[in-house]
Amino acid sequence: MMKLAIPLRSKIGHIILVFVGLVIEAYGLLMLPQYTGKIINEGIQYGDMNAIYSIASMMILMIGISAVGQIMCSYFSAKLSTSYARDLREMAYENVLRFSSNELNSISRASIITRITNDINQIETILLLGLTVVVFAPILGIGSIIKAFEIKTDLTWIIVIAFILIMILIFVIGARVLPKFNTLQEYMDRINQNAREILIGMPVIKAFVRQDFENEKFEKINRQYLDLNLNIYRNLLPMQPLLIVILNLMVVAIVYFGSYEVSGGLIMTGNLVSFIQYSTQIVVSFAMVGVFMIALPRIVVSGRRINEILEIEPEIKDGELLQINDNPTIEFKNVSYAYPQSEIESVKNINLKLESGKTIGIVGGTGSGKSTLLNLIPRLHDATSGEILIDGQNIKDFKLDSLRDKISLTPQKTLLMEGTVKSNMIMGKHDATDSEIEDALRKAHVDFVESPDDAVSQGGSNFSGGQKQRLSIARSLMKHHDFYLFDDSFSALDMNTEKIIMDNIMSDLKASSGVIVSQRISTIADADEILVMDKGEIIDRGNHDELYESCETYREIFDSQSDVVGGGL
Amino acid sequence: MERETPLDKKKEMKNIIALLMEHKFRFIFSVIFVIISSVLTVIAPVLIGDAVTIIFDGANNILHGTGTMDFASLANILLTVSVIYVVSFLFSYLQKYFIIKISSDIAFTLRQRMISKILSLPMSEVDKNKRGDILSRLTNDIDNLTSGITESLMEMMTIVITLVMSLIVMLMINVWMTLLIVVLIPIAFVLIGLMVKFSQKYFKSQLKMKGQLNSKIEESITVHDAMRSFNYQDISMDDFRKNNARLFEDEWKANFFASLIHPLIQIMNYIGYIAIAVFGGLFVIQGVFPVGRIVTFMQYAENFTNPLEELASVMSVVMTALSSSARISEFLEYDDEQNPSSKQIFKLNDEITFENVNFSYVPGEKIIDDFSLTVKKGQKIAIVGKTGAGKSTLVKLLMKFYPVDSGKIMIDGVNINEYDNHSYRSMVGMVLQDSWLFSDTIENNIRYGNLDATENEIVEASIQARTDNFIKQLPEGYDSYLNEDTDNISQGQKQLLTIARTVLSKKEILILDEATSNVDTRTEKLISDAMNNLMDSSTCFIIAHRLSTITNADKIIVLENGKIIEQGTHDELLLKKGYYYNTLNQK
Repeated sequence: MMKLAIPLRSKIGHIILVFVGLVIEAYGLLMLPQYTGKIINEGIQYGDMNAIYSIASMMILMIGISAVGQIMCSYFSAKLSTSYARDLREMAYENVLRFSSNELNSISRASIITRITNDINQIETILLLGLTVVVFAPILGIGSIIKAFEIKTDLTWIIVIAFILIMILIFVIGARVLPKFNTLQEYMDRINQNAREILIGMPVIKAFVRQDFENEKFEKINRQYLDLNLNIYRNLLPMQPLLIVILNLMVVAIVYFGSYEVSGGLIMTGNLVSFIQYSTQIVVSFAMVGVFMIALPRIVVSGRRINEILEIEPEIKDGELLQINDNPTIEFKNVSYAYPQSEIESVKNINLKLESGKTIGIVGGTGSGKSTLLNLIPRLHDATSGEILIDGQNIKDFKLDSLRDKISLTPQKTLLMEGTVKSNMIMGKHDATDSEIEDALRKAHVDFVESPDDAVSQGGSNFSGGQKQRLSIARSLMKHHDFYLFDDSFSALDMNTEKIIMDNIMSDLKASSGVIVSQRISTIADADEILVMDKGEIIDRGNHDELYESCETYREIFDSQSDVVGGGL
Repeated sequence: MERETPLDKKKEMKNIIALLMEHKFRFIFSVIFVIISSVLTVIAPVLIGDAVTIIFDGANNILHGTGTMDFASLANILLTVSVIYVVSFLFSYLQKYFIIKISSDIAFTLRQRMISKILSLPMSEVDKNKRGDILSRLTNDIDNLTSGITESLMEMMTIVITLVMSLIVMLMINVWMTLLIVVLIPIAFVLIGLMVKFSQKYFKSQLKMKGQLNSKIEESITVHDAMRSFNYQDISMDDFRKNNARLFEDEWKANFFASLIHPLIQIMNYIGYIAIAVFGGLFVIQGVFPVGRIVTFMQYAENFTNPLEELASVMSVVMTALSSSARISEFLEYDDEQNPSSKQIFKLNDEITFENVNFSYVPGEKIIDDFSLTVKKGQKIAIVGKTGAGKSTLVKLLMKFYPVDSGKIMIDGVNINEYDNHSYRSMVGMVLQDSWLFSDTIENNIRYGNLDATENEIVEASIQARTDNFIKQLPEGYDSYLNEDTDNISQGQKQLLTIARTVLSKKEILILDEATSNVDTRTEKLISDAMNNLMDSSTCFIIAHRLSTITNADKIIVLENGKIIEQGTHDELLLKKGYYYNTLNQK
């Protein structure tokens, strides 16, 4: 839990102040029962009103002291717990931003979201409560023990027995319940996941008329959760009533055995009354700690879930070098990449040169490794073997910011953000002016947007597939880059639109280097070099005419496309 | 969707009571048990007070040599108290036992109802609601509601009973001392109200900020790759930091003011305590009541002020439960997909007819415009046209996903609306552009097409859809588990799996909406046999970009703005030299 503790270091001052507040509060509270006893012993017994008044004024003073302590503690613990949550959120988010998609998937994206939100909230709530309970209860408990012993009586054994009984109770129930909380959380995750799937898959469910099937499937998980939940709570149930009954019976025992001590003249009635109050405080305090211990595994679970995010050292490490030459050359030397937990290399032994002014086209079947290859250039993944050099220097030596600034990657999935067209374009150039935005939109043939302030809904769902692609292309054209990588970015566009956009790009970016991945040969036929990929390997390379002559796979792909009419129809 | 309407508390209370009434007997029993156990708890302090009096008097007697302590009646009282405590324990345990069962059952039922509701919503409603929002109703809101029922409802009952009972017993003992305690109540209420008012403002804005921050996180994770390749992390981080800092400001204030309630109540509590000590002392000296009553009153004072404090926190839980209940019932009240008929259909005998069909998602923006078409059984219809021409919408209407605005779609002359939705859809198969698969094994995903399929039939379908090869290469073959983040099979392979699923299902009518858009052209050629087989046995509607598929169709219809602008066979359309001819020639 090391990483989790880091934000606490800067809050030691607050922690101490909370502690001081609690001690002050406890001091005030501890004095009260003693004064109650005094009122009975010195005031009532002798009918002395003056004694009663002076003792009462002391009590008011103690309450004042305790109130000051409490307010102090409220203030600092509110600040402490919320600022801790703030820092955790920030740390987690910052780390997640540096993750590669492998790392995102290793925890699962949905889970990362719940961890940064729900789990941190959990910790915050429990910390706020915990400070006052876990720290305060022992202070009050120990103070009460001291006070109880100051009353010289042989009744302390009753407290000891009650204490032992309560500890056994907490321990037994805790041992039965604790291990199950984790499973319960997992069942909840599954309920969530199942419901999410149903929501996404509605058209398929309706088409296959599988409503009853889905309903039963969900019911199974739902029932599992119900059963475990009932099981946990049935075990937890006796806790509170049993605590109360033990406490009450303890008081009864003290009164009973105390009566003999009073009659024997060992103590006075007032002492007995204060002793009852102290013993109640002792037992209640430790019971509170015990009950909290049962809540603890939930924070431990939450804590572990967050810590997991914090502990991941992003595999993509930032480099040192800032400066990259203008129009550099990127070279792949025997580059291979395998996804974690996969024995098969998704790209194998790639040798490749990206030069200024040259365009490379890549074709190949689904799963042939084209996207993976492109993702290696801006270091969305790092090659598992071989190296990628930029002007002879390994790309890992450069600052990620500098490297990625040179590269524009238009991914296969159009990743648009909720907001406006403008806010999405600004991703491409952080200080873009309106005219720059309009320029990029024009180049990407975005003719369906009335103004850059037009809204973009979640995932760009208010646009069609082709429109989303054009917006995504426009975003990549916002700023000049030395390398433009297009990962099947034109697939939903008809030939005409594609041609218009390609012409705009080509005339604009003569000095840059381009890599275009496409399923369609027509898109890349003009490239200076075309790579044919299959099962992660480059099986052939050359220009269109050469490949059509020599490469059978290329010819097959080309022929298979001769009757594709594209998006125009 | 944000709830804009104000919370109708009465209506929600009714809803909650209706839910409780589904467990009438358990609920009535737990109410009875609550009453018994709280009444018993209220009686106990009187007896403890009596015991202290006996000790005090006994001590005085011994001190003044006037007698001894009455151990016999002391033992009697204490035995009674012990019995009361144990009985009260039993009842409170039983009450909790029932209430946990009730609330867990309610949670279970509500989740089940919500899923059934989701499954029976019309597509338009599914489109309208944000996924995250529905999911949070299903999890957070149901949690809030049930914990509201278990923790708060019963607690409130206990508190009210304890307060009333304590008041009665106190009045019976001494009116003046009772007044002393009761006077504190309005003061406490004012103080609590004040703090709640202070903190409420911050609680509200804090909730809003939290919602914003959550959607920010969700979005960043979704567009993660784009964010990284555009060097957008720093900006996103700054933005996050700003929102996070604002959240912190609201949050600590909300928590601070809320946590002030506790010390304030405690001060009230102790002032009452001192007042009891002082005035109680006076009364004892004057001989109004015995010393044990001081102890009794001290316990009642606690019975009074502690519940008040709990009431404040319980009230906020109840308020949350009520608004959650409102969100749940709002969802459950959505209209189901209309399915007025139970008339079954199993076969297409003769023809499918579209008669003057009109449709729009948004009123005024026509997507399908006066569309008429007759398709004979066994025919293959290719639908072509630009993006946005209405192709996908047309087939969705055929699926009965959306009701037509006007006009009719008929099977053998009978309006499809006259058939039961499920029976009708069982006849129609569909492969879509977006391939949707479950988090389950590959085998189960294919089996979705026909739940009764044998393993052999599954492999057979898989071979036809050209998925068998790559599946066998996976380490776990057909048992490989797929999930949303699956990286090791490509988009295209996922689409092939959805084709295998449809191959297995064997339908009368088939809709292929860009069914092979993510499959590369070579593989596409490979599976064309399978596709042809699939198409041969049914009546087909095909949206495709492959000329050979289109030319093989019995009829091609060209859509523009939801209207048929041309139709006929490939040759007929070429002769026409219209849109179809021109577009093909451009290529």
